Amino acid sequence: MAVKDTLHEKAASDSAYTTQRDYRTKDVEVAKLRRAVEDSTQLRLDGVDHTARPTWKLRETVEFYRDILGLPLVHTISARGWGAPGHPDFLHFFFDAGKGATIAFFYYIDTDRPERYLPEDHHFYAATHTAWGVPTEEELHKWKTTLESRGLIVSPYTRHEILESIYFRDPNGYPIEITLRLRDVEVIDEVDAKLTLEAAMQAEDELRAGGDRLRDIDTVWRRKAKLVEELISEP
Amino acid sequence: MVILYVLDVAEFLPIVESARRISDCEITKSDKGYWKIVAPTEIVLNRKAMQMKPAVWYGLFTGGMNGEIAEFGRDEVRVVGTNKPL
Repeated sequence: MAVKDTLHEKAASDSAYTTQRDYRTKDVEVAKLRRAVEDSTQLRLDGVDHTARPTWKLRETVEFYRDILGLPLVHTISARGWGAPGHPDFLHFFFDAGKGATIAFFYYIDTDRPERYLPEDHHFYAATHTAWGVPTEEELHKWKTTLESRGLIVSPYTRHEILESIYFRDPNGYPIEITLRLRDVEVIDEVDAKLTLEAAMQAEDELRAGGDRLRDIDTVWRRKAKLVEELISEP
Repeated sequence: MVILYVLDVAEFLPIVESARRISDCEITKSDKGYWKIVAPTEIVLNRKAMQMKPAVWYGLFTGGMNGEIAEFGRDEVRVVGTNKPL
């Protein structure tokens, strides 16, 4: 496919990074936003293009993703710092993770890793992670045994409800998950997902209104019981 | 009274199978995708008997629970009746 000079002529003379910064700095007030159902426009996505994180370990990151995991390095941007004042020169590089998805890194030249970006052994930190899918149980097994034979520490297999996963860290401390979808998600899963979150949001709203907050999952499960009873009692 | 609601999917069906072995449990299935398990005083479930991995075990009552968890250990859970609001 030919690359057009620009997709949006009006936007070409300026950059969102220089003058129009509200999209990065202003709080999003969800209550004030129009719901999709109100304008009947269905927005579509076509999977993950890339995710990106900063790195202060250039060689280790390249060698880990390209040479240990074997992900092809497919694109690198090298640039002078531009846009916001003080932006360092940088490298931005992308590894192919299959089905058009890439994992990308920014290496900001002549900068030190701030302390708040140091990895922590804490679930809040590990919540931000990359999970890649594999198509078969054999492939999941192959990832675990192969990476272990290459010297990496890999978690035991962990069975979640619809996923079975293994976990390891990259040289930056970022958590990686390799996961196998155990079954397709069906309509009842969607109904159940909606009810669980509806239960949680209802319980939380009510507790907050009384100056408290949601304290445990049991409270959600009890409210869920009410919602499910209502559902199954419907004629 | 204790009531558990169980989504009709493979990973949670061991709960229903376990409940079948409890003599005073009443089990019904709705056409909306949930099993309903009713017991007069308590329901005790065992993780190993259900061959459940911990990550599923600790989400055991995600289908809904009308009751109170008296004990939730790594291998056994006991739910009893409660007056707490739903």
